[in-house]
Amino acid sequence: MTDTARADALIDLRSVVKVYDTGEVPFTALKGVDLTVHSGEFVGLIGKSGSGKTTLINMITGIDRPTSGEVVIGETPVHALNENQLAMWRGRTIGVVFQFFQLLPTLTVIENVMLPMDFCSMYAPAERPERAMRLLEQVELADQAYKLPSALSGGQQQRAAIARALANDPPILAADEPTGNLDSKTADSVFHLFEELVDAHKTIIMVTHDNDLAGRVRRALHVSDGEIVDERVIRPRTERSGI
Amino acid sequence: MRPALSPRWAKVARDLAGHRFRTLLVVLSIAVGIFAITVVMGGRGILLREFETVYEASAPATIVFEVDAADESVIRAVERVDGVRLAEGRRTLAVRYDKGVHADDVPSTGWDTLQLRAVPDFERTGVDLTTVEAARSWPPAAGEVLFERSVNMVASYAPGDVITVETPGGTRVSLRVAGIVHDINAYPATFVATSTGYVSMDTLRLLDEPPRFNQIRIVAEEVPTRAEASRIAMEVRDDVLVPRGVRVLQTDVPEPGSHFLGDIFKAVSLLLLALGVLSLFLSGFLVVTTVQAIMAQQISQVGIMKAVGGRASQVTWMYLAMVTVYGVLAVLVGMPAGAAAGRWFTTFAADLLNFRVTSYAPPPSVVALGVAVGVGVPLLAAIVPVRLGTRTSVVRALNATGMSGASFGHGLIDRFLAHLRGLPRPVALSLRNTFLRKGRLALTLVTLTLASAVIMSVMTVRTSILATVDEVDIWRFDTQMWFALPQGAEAVERIASRVEGVRAVSTMPEYRTVFTRADGTESQPIDLIGVDPDSDFVDPRVSSGRWLRAGDTAAIVLNADVLKSEPELAVGRSATFNIIGEDREFRVVGVVTAGLMGPVAFVPKSHLDSVTGGTGAVMRLQVRTATGEADEQARVGRLVERRLEERSIPVAFRQTETEQRDQVASQLGILVTFLAIMGVILASVGVIGLTGTMTINVLESTREIGVMRAIGASHGSIYQIFVTEGVVIALIAWALGALASYPMSVVLLDLLEGAMGLPLTFEYSWAGVGIWLASVTAIAVLASLLPAFRASQVSVRDAISYE
Repeated sequence: MTDTARADALIDLRSVVKVYDTGEVPFTALKGVDLTVHSGEFVGLIGKSGSGKTTLINMITGIDRPTSGEVVIGETPVHALNENQLAMWRGRTIGVVFQFFQLLPTLTVIENVMLPMDFCSMYAPAERPERAMRLLEQVELADQAYKLPSALSGGQQQRAAIARALANDPPILAADEPTGNLDSKTADSVFHLFEELVDAHKTIIMVTHDNDLAGRVRRALHVSDGEIVDERVIRPRTERSGI
Repeated sequence: MRPALSPRWAKVARDLAGHRFRTLLVVLSIAVGIFAITVVMGGRGILLREFETVYEASAPATIVFEVDAADESVIRAVERVDGVRLAEGRRTLAVRYDKGVHADDVPSTGWDTLQLRAVPDFERTGVDLTTVEAARSWPPAAGEVLFERSVNMVASYAPGDVITVETPGGTRVSLRVAGIVHDINAYPATFVATSTGYVSMDTLRLLDEPPRFNQIRIVAEEVPTRAEASRIAMEVRDDVLVPRGVRVLQTDVPEPGSHFLGDIFKAVSLLLLALGVLSLFLSGFLVVTTVQAIMAQQISQVGIMKAVGGRASQVTWMYLAMVTVYGVLAVLVGMPAGAAAGRWFTTFAADLLNFRVTSYAPPPSVVALGVAVGVGVPLLAAIVPVRLGTRTSVVRALNATGMSGASFGHGLIDRFLAHLRGLPRPVALSLRNTFLRKGRLALTLVTLTLASAVIMSVMTVRTSILATVDEVDIWRFDTQMWFALPQGAEAVERIASRVEGVRAVSTMPEYRTVFTRADGTESQPIDLIGVDPDSDFVDPRVSSGRWLRAGDTAAIVLNADVLKSEPELAVGRSATFNIIGEDREFRVVGVVTAGLMGPVAFVPKSHLDSVTGGTGAVMRLQVRTATGEADEQARVGRLVERRLEERSIPVAFRQTETEQRDQVASQLGILVTFLAIMGVILASVGVIGLTGTMTINVLESTREIGVMRAIGASHGSIYQIFVTEGVVIALIAWALGALASYPMSVVLLDLLEGAMGLPLTFEYSWAGVGIWLASVTAIAVLASLLPAFRASQVSVRDAISYE
C-alpha cells in the first residue's frame, strides 16, 4: 500500500496485535493486522467463529484496545485515547450496531435514539426529539417511537439500534453480526438499509458469517486465525446493474 | 409527545420505578439503618436533653444539711451567706404506711416505708421543685398527702384514696391522697422500696411532730464546683448554724449537676451510643453489598451506554443519582418510623428512670445524622462499586452474561469444594454458588457477622448483668428489717431467735459518718456498719487489701463507691472519720466491691461499740431461715415482725432476700431491658440484610435459574439450592460472629463497668450462641424462601433474557 493511499484512509490499522490473557496460555486473537478503509466503503469482515473478526471490529470502534500496533481513525490515534476520550470520540465518530441489538430496556425507542446525543451533547436539547424521529422515519419505525424495545420484533429492534447508531451523524458505522439474530427476510431489509447508508456516503464495516450477505458487500475481508488472509473487491451495485 | 426527561435521567427514573421489588429492598436496607440510628441515637439525644432540662428546671439542692432543729430565722440567716441563692427548711420523717386502707380495699400486704417531706409553702418553694400530675386539692391541706408518682410503680394510688401512716413514735393518722406529683430528685419507689410523700407543716401537728425543720436545702448562686459548694457548706455550718446552736448531723454536698441515677443513665447512654455506631456500620455494609449487586446486574447496560458515547463520569453520575433517590426514599421511610419508635422507646425509658419528657422532638443533630446516613453513607458506599462498574472496559461489560462461572475454580476454597465428593448435586451447587461471588460473599459475611457478634455480645452482657445481680450482694440473710428507732441488739436478737423457722440472727450497729479530707473538707455521708469479722451473714468480695479479722480494732474496709469519690483513701492509709460528732482514726485495710449499696464502710462491731459508748443500739436485724426458700423467707419475716411488734418494737420496713435481689435486678434490669430492645433492632437489621443479600443473589442468578430449569431442575431443586446457600452463609456468619462476640462482650462490659463504677461478672452466654444459631438458621431459611419463590415463578424464557 502506498503512503498516499494510507494518508487518505479513514480507518488505518497498523500491525495490530491483540493477546488475551486467558489464564494458563495467552491467546493471540489478532496477529499484526494491517488494514486501511476509505471513506464511503462498505467492508465486510468474514470468517468462522473465533477467527478474530469481532476483535478486529472492536479495535476499530475502540471498544477494545490493541496489545500493540496503532489504530488511527481519521486523524485520531484511537489506541492512545483514554476511556473518557474514547467514549466521547466513539459517540461522535462511530455508530455501533450489535448482534443482540443492545437497546436499553427501560428507555423507549426514541429515547434510545436520543441517548447518544444526550451523552455527547450533540444538537440542542429541543432539536433532539425531532432528529430522533427523522432517523426513526428513515428506518421506518416512526410509529413505534414511544414503545419500549420489548414490544418490538427483532428486526424492528435492530432497525432502532441502527437509528441509534446514526444519532450523532457519525461518518462510520460498525456492525457486529447485525443480521445474526434475524430471519432472512428481516436480515435482507436491514442489509438494504446499510446499502442506502453507504449510498449516502457513510462508511460501514460489518462483521458477518452469512455468505449471501458477504457477497453483497463491496469489499470482503476474510479473517482467519487472527489474520486477514484474503480480500475481494466487488463492483458497486450501480456498476453491476449497469446504471 | 416530547419526553419530559433527557434519556439518561429517564433511564434512572425507569430503573427505579421499573424494578419495584429491588427498589423496595434497597430502600428498606438503607431505611432499617436510619431507623436503628434514629431510635437509638434519637432516643439517647431526647433522654439526655430532657433529663437535663427537667433536672435543671427542678432547681436541685446544692447543699443539704441534716440538723436537729432549725426555724425560719436560721433559714433567713443561711440565705445571707455569700454564694447562697436561696435556702429552704424542710422536715423529713420516715413513717410506715399501710396500703391496706386503700380506697380499693386491697387486702393488707403489711407496712411499707414512706419518706414524708413537710414543706412550709408549696406555692413559693424554690428548691427541688415538683410538678403536679394529678391533684384533688392544691396545695395539700392538713391531713392530706401528695405522692411522688413512682409510688404507682409499686401500688396504685389516685387522688382521694386514704392511707394510714404511723410515726416512729406510734402515732397513727389517716391521710387522704391529695394528688400525684413528679419529683426528679426523689428516689423512684422501685429502686429503694420507699415511696416519697409531701405534706404541709400543718399535717406535722397531726402526726405529733414539732413544726421545726430538720433539713436545710440550699441552692447556690451559679453552678459551683463541688469544692466551691463544700466551701459554702462549711461557711454556712461554721458561721451560721453552729453559732445559732443548730446541731449539724450530716452535710450532703452532691456532685453539682449530677443526678443519683447518673451512673445508670450514663451506662444506658453509652450502650445506646455504642449500638448506634454499630448500626451505622451495619447499614453501611448493607448499602455497599446492595449497590455492588445493582452494578453487577447493570454492567452490560453500562457497556452499551459507553459504547454509544457515554463517558464513565456521566454513567457514574446516573448511578449515584439513583443511589441518592434510594437514600431520600429511605430517609422518608426510616426517619418517621424511627421517630415513632424512638418516641415509644423514650417514653419507656423515661418511665423506668422516673422523669417526664417535655418534648419528643428528635435533636437536630440526630435528624442531620439520619439524613447523612440515609443519603451520605449510601453515596459514599456506592462510589467504589459504581466507579468499578462504570470503569469496566466496554468489551468486558458487553460480554457480561450474568453467568459468572468463569470466576470459580481458581482459589483454594473453590478447588476444595470442587473435590468434595458424596454431596447431593443441588447441595454441591449451593456450596459452590456460595463462594462464586467472593466479593459479595465477603461483604454479606461482614454485615451478618457484625450483626451476629453484636447480638451475641448483647446476650452475654445481659447474662453478665444477671450474674452480677446474683453475686453483687454481700449479705447472706433471708429476711431483714429496719427499725423506726434504734433498738437494743440483745433484746431484738433474743426475740427473733425464738421465732419458729428462724435458724440464725444477726444485728449490726450502723451510723452515718463523713471522712475528713486532707484539705479539711468533708466527704459525702458514708454508712458505717459494725460487723463481726467472723460473721457468716456477710460475704464480701475483696478487690484489694483484706477483709476484717478477729482482733482488728481501728481497721476499716471501704466499698468501691467510697473509693470512687474519695480516691485518697487507699489501702494502708490512715483516715479520720467523724462518728456522732467525734473524729476517729481508722486504718484502711481493704476495699470490697460496691454492691449497689452506695458508699459503705465496715469496721469491727466491737470497736464501733467501744467508740460509740457501747450502747448496743441497732437499726437492722437480719434473719436466716431453715430452708431459705422465697415463701419461707416471707413467712418467717412476717412472724418475726409480728413478734417484735408485740414487744413494742416497731418495724419500719421488712424485706426478704428475694425481694432485695429483685430490687437490685430492677435497677440493672433497666440495662437488660435496653439491651433486649437493642438486640431486637439489630436482629431486624440482620434479617433485612440477609433477605436483601439473598434476594439480590437470586436476582443475579436469574439467568442461571433459567438455565437450570431449562435442563430439567424442578421448583423443589431451585428452592433447595437457594435455601442451602442462605443457610451456609448464615452459618458461616454465625460461627465468625460467635468468635467476634467474645472480645466484643469484654469491651462492652468494660465500658459499662467504667460508666457505672460497678464491677460486672463476665459470663459468656452460651445459651445466646445457641439461640442465635437457631434464629439465624430460621432467618436464613425464611430470607431465602421468598427470593427462591420469586425465581421459581419466572418463565425459562424470561429468566434467560433477564437484564
